[in-house]
Amino acid sequence: MDFPSSLRPTLFVTGPLGLSNVPDMSFMCSWRDALTLPESLPENSKNEAPPLATGLLWEPETPGPLPLLPPGPDPWDPGVTAQDLLFRGAFPFRRKPQAVLDVTEQLSRFLWDHGDIAFAPLGKLMLENFKLEGARSRSKKKTVVSVKSLLQDLGGHQPWGCPWAFLSYRQRRFSIVGGPVLGKSVASLLGELLHEELAMRWEQLLLDDAFTGGALAWVPGGTPQVGQLVYPAGGALDTLCFQEVSLPPGGDPQALGDPGHIQLRGPVRQVVTRTVQGESLLAVRSDYHCALWKVSKQGRAAPLQVLQVGKGATGISLSPHLPGELAVCSRSGAVCLWTPQDGLQQVYKDPETLVFCDPSPWRWADFTAHPRVLTVGDRTGVKIIDTQGPPGCGLLLFRGGAEAACRQGERVLLSQYLGECGAEPRLPTLQLICTQFSLYLVDERLPLVPMLKWDHDLPSAPLWAQLLPPPCPGYPQPLLLGGQGGHLQLLHLAGEGASAPRLAGPPQSLPSSSDSLSAFPLLEPKSQWRLQERLKAPTIGLAATIPSSASKPVLSLFQLSAAGDVFHQHLHLQADPGPHSRAPAASWTPQATACCSRWLKALLDVPPTPPVWAAPTFSHRRLLGCMEQRKVEQKGPEGLRAAMAAGRLLRQKDLGSLPSAGPPPAPEPGPEDELSARLEAAWEGRMAAWWERQQGRSSGPGRQPKRRKRRTQLSSTFSSLSGRLDLSDATSPPHSPDRASPEARPRPPVTPPSQELTQELWARGVPSERQQTLRDYMARLPLQEDTPRGVCSPLSGTSSSRATPSRPQTLQDGTAELPPGRNTRRGAAVSSSQTSRQQVLRKKPRMGF
Amino acid sequence: MSDFSEELIRSKTEDDQEESCVFSGTGMSFPWLQKYIGTVATGGKKEKDFAQTTNACLSFIQEALLKHRWQKAAEFMHSYFQILEDSDSHKRQAAPEIIWKLGSEILFYHPKSNVETFNTFADRMKNIGVMNYLKISLQHALYLLHHGMLEDANRNLSHAETWRYGEKSSSQEVLINLIQAYKGLLQYYTWSKKKMELSTLDEDDYAYNTASQNMLNHSWKTSVNLCALIQTPGVWDPFVKSYVEMLEFYGDQDGAREVLTNYAYDEKFPSNPNAHIYLYNFLKREKAPREKLISVLKILYQIVPSHKLMLEFHRLLRKSEKEDHHKLGLEVLFGVLDFAGCTKNITAWKYLGKYLRQTLVGNHLAWVQEEWNSRKNWWPSFHFSSFWAKSDWKEDKALACEKALVAGILLGKGCRYFRFISKQDDQVLRKKIKRIKKSVKKHSIVNPGL
Repeated sequence: MDFPSSLRPTLFVTGPLGLSNVPDMSFMCSWRDALTLPESLPENSKNEAPPLATGLLWEPETPGPLPLLPPGPDPWDPGVTAQDLLFRGAFPFRRKPQAVLDVTEQLSRFLWDHGDIAFAPLGKLMLENFKLEGARSRSKKKTVVSVKSLLQDLGGHQPWGCPWAFLSYRQRRFSIVGGPVLGKSVASLLGELLHEELAMRWEQLLLDDAFTGGALAWVPGGTPQVGQLVYPAGGALDTLCFQEVSLPPGGDPQALGDPGHIQLRGPVRQVVTRTVQGESLLAVRSDYHCALWKVSKQGRAAPLQVLQVGKGATGISLSPHLPGELAVCSRSGAVCLWTPQDGLQQVYKDPETLVFCDPSPWRWADFTAHPRVLTVGDRTGVKIIDTQGPPGCGLLLFRGGAEAACRQGERVLLSQYLGECGAEPRLPTLQLICTQFSLYLVDERLPLVPMLKWDHDLPSAPLWAQLLPPPCPGYPQPLLLGGQGGHLQLLHLAGEGASAPRLAGPPQSLPSSSDSLSAFPLLEPKSQWRLQERLKAPTIGLAATIPSSASKPVLSLFQLSAAGDVFHQHLHLQADPGPHSRAPAASWTPQATACCSRWLKALLDVPPTPPVWAAPTFSHRRLLGCMEQRKVEQKGPEGLRAAMAAGRLLRQKDLGSLPSAGPPPAPEPGPEDELSARLEAAWEGRMAAWWERQQGRSSGPGRQPKRRKRRTQLSSTFSSLSGRLDLSDATSPPHSPDRASPEARPRPPVTPPSQELTQELWARGVPSERQQTLRDYMARLPLQEDTPRGVCSPLSGTSSSRATPSRPQTLQDGTAELPPGRNTRRGAAVSSSQTSRQQVLRKKPRMGF
Repeated sequence: MSDFSEELIRSKTEDDQEESCVFSGTGMSFPWLQKYIGTVATGGKKEKDFAQTTNACLSFIQEALLKHRWQKAAEFMHSYFQILEDSDSHKRQAAPEIIWKLGSEILFYHPKSNVETFNTFADRMKNIGVMNYLKISLQHALYLLHHGMLEDANRNLSHAETWRYGEKSSSQEVLINLIQAYKGLLQYYTWSKKKMELSTLDEDDYAYNTASQNMLNHSWKTSVNLCALIQTPGVWDPFVKSYVEMLEFYGDQDGAREVLTNYAYDEKFPSNPNAHIYLYNFLKREKAPREKLISVLKILYQIVPSHKLMLEFHRLLRKSEKEDHHKLGLEVLFGVLDFAGCTKNITAWKYLGKYLRQTLVGNHLAWVQEEWNSRKNWWPSFHFSSFWAKSDWKEDKALACEKALVAGILLGKGCRYFRFISKQDDQVLRKKIKRIKKSVKKHSIVNPGL
């Protein structure tokens, strides 16, 4: 094999992470990597560097990926989020924010929600040890409370937790007396456990390394257009599915028939597939088991062997050289070679980490260009070990330290052998190493000195990578990098034989599934939120293929989300665009939106997850009795009483009909209302013009903003390039999703109804075919807290005068009209009491004692 | 509230560069933690509007870059310069580097950008803050080099070379060395151009003298420039190569040897295969004795047993008189064929077949068995499976024949690979296959008695 005849100059410094007194020679931009030294030497002139491919770009065909398969029948819940775990109060803003786990909040919530579990055992314990039956005395009987029933009560219904629940005086007194004792013991017992659990959950939230390597695999079929996707499905991700997919040239991939299933006994964490010497193998890693299947030419999987890993498996990889050979690593720090014929052979074991001490038990192993040599990695570095050599020896291939100019806190997240790509590997000795900041390419023959370093800056942990064969001969190889948050980056790797690997052109990012939101129809907020949440589900697998027969190179990319959805996107290589001719940005095709609508319909048919906990219910019959006594004539309270008696939701018709009213009046702009003028201009898209007008009016010669010289100097460099600086364009980019505030993404115009109606602006902004939808949707809105709030505290000054009870507003199609007067508000408040109560509950935790 | 923060979170010491990274209890930093915290914080002192807009702007630029929208990125960049007026001094100080990084990237790829724009930008960036002068100068020079503007690059490097700020720190020193080395490399380019011119001139010509004088001057300057850096541990292939070439040209063989030996054997340097290759090529040019060449390649063999020079190494060993060299020759061949990238190297297979026969004829069955023992459990499926037999025969019949010979010798005539090839009926190769069958029968180590 050739070794690059001349390597890029690199400083070699040894030392710990983040050593700062050395110049960081790797503060590189992709262009720096593209630089070549002029090959003026006569001997080198023949292997001229290929021209820089600035135009190399894989253009997505749609603005976002599309769902490939209908959503599974199991509901999905995003689980614990940062909001659930972190302290929510005011934190002093610092340069380096700190995460503070909210143990108190969690503990009090637990005592609220599961008081029976927390206190019942205590009650039982105390009952056993309490001797309360003292001498019976008449005089005492009145003043001393029998504790027995109270202690029994501890495990019974939940008097605590709900401020509206009926508390007897006895219980109240008991809680005051026993509170300090009970609360303390429960808190101290539970607190420690909770603390531990929270810390674990938080670590997991920051980095969930279980899915490292990815749980989605593509098994090529007999023809280039057909293949199988292998992925886990089901709520617990414990069903392994084999879905045949066809990739028609020029069309979207299609699922052929129903997937085949294999039910497993644990969640699938990693699916690896590889075709070695014509034999397709499939390896699956679960938490404590690994299994191997052989996939026949017809696509049928036959089980070969299952392996139990007592301490838990962290990684599995299939040999690209020998059919049926695997490397398995476990949390105990052991790495084994596994073949179905010969069983397990432990080749390495070290519970300690390689370079410095790191608590993570994560281990990883992969193959190298030599079939008997493995790489073994942990968070601190990667080592190459000879499985035939004496145990314990090896050579560090990558060190988390100054050698690779690592930053402080940098850790290895993924290590992958890149040599197995295709029959004729172009980069047979390269290893990819990913950290949370950068990507390194290391040649096995030159340990410790990365051949290439690129700061990927992904906003989530890069746990998946795939090197694809070059789309056309002579082109660079696409290297896909996937982050847990669905972020995808594509790099173009060039260099083989005598030239060192390098980036051919700037890397690009690919759309993630949350970019597809715009393809879905408009929804009511709750469903919209559900859809958004589903699209934002973390990615757990990535697979890509370039069907070789296509005349125009096409990259098919599949992504598996934690919710079990498979999304696909299609990219075509923009061969060599001229500097100015850029293809128009991809847009949604009718087929794509139709596909999304179908998928959405199926998604909304899936019942949502039952809540983990519901507010304690208590009897309202007693309250009903109170109401009965009062003499009531009006229809409203009567309806309310009836609804309460039946235990159903209070609806409009229960409250009687309302006097109909005309449409809401339009706001009257004040004579010199700058804000409304500006808003109006913004709505009509003439913001820039307004701004200019405003500028012309207000800025005299003396009011020119002072700017520093350097800034204007620098600006002039760029202004010559940007040509025009359209203010409206610059402040509200139409394409770029707002990273800084994800909530401000282009959402369908779902603003509070009161605001829309008073201002009548929605009618202008919404296309006519959607106005009816919007109207229908608003008509169906139950009387939620929005409505009364809108009435009580209108949003703008102009509308406040109109929205007084004397001239009530009406929603357009009037099924949920508001009656005038105070009763209405009371009625509305009752109907939404369930939600508001829950909110109060959350805001003011209070222990039962 | 629990006092979890102290335990779980280790606050980082005041290091201004990475403010967005927060550390967990394990010491690992998470660039995405800031985002999580941002979703939770409800009260307290929030980021100022200024910081919010500049951060948003930064992410827009990054996104535009990753979408290759250079025009858009340039527009955002225009707004991003406001960060130079940030009231937060940490941010203000870190800003020039970010601006340089992003700005140069935009200007490198922007369709309307040209060298002049880039130069203007670089010159201005150099003088914003003192910390980046050397780095930016170096990158600027590399940019000019890439565009073939050697003179401008040279001027740039000369400026940077003399630049000093405050006390000379070690990082400054390394950078200055690097800058000087690049300057040396530039001088080398001029020198080698002159050398080319010289080779066309007549030796008696008057011009020849001036030209050679010129060259001498250059060489002297270059050696001064390159020397310092080459002493520093690192990978300096282009510098070493050009330096040695100049030294050799002026007959300073000892100097060149010293440089190369130091580059190859200094323990502070990374084990760079090229260092050994350069040394070997130099010794070969020098017509060094075989022993010497073998000793250099022996080390290369230990670092990169798959290198293409290994076949040359094998030839050297084969020609040697020493017995242990002959043994090593066999080991080297087996070693080359262990690697996935070398399985189709027909020369290696040819050598192995020939050398196996030779070794067995020379009654060194033990050597072969020693090599084979560690490989017999995986070579059959790695090299000699029926899949490879079919595909090799289809793709490269000559290779299949060579491999069949080796398979036959090592595994006996019952092996699948050998059986498949020997059953093939090919007009051209019939004779060859017959010969292979014969030598397998004679030499196979599986049934040595027969």
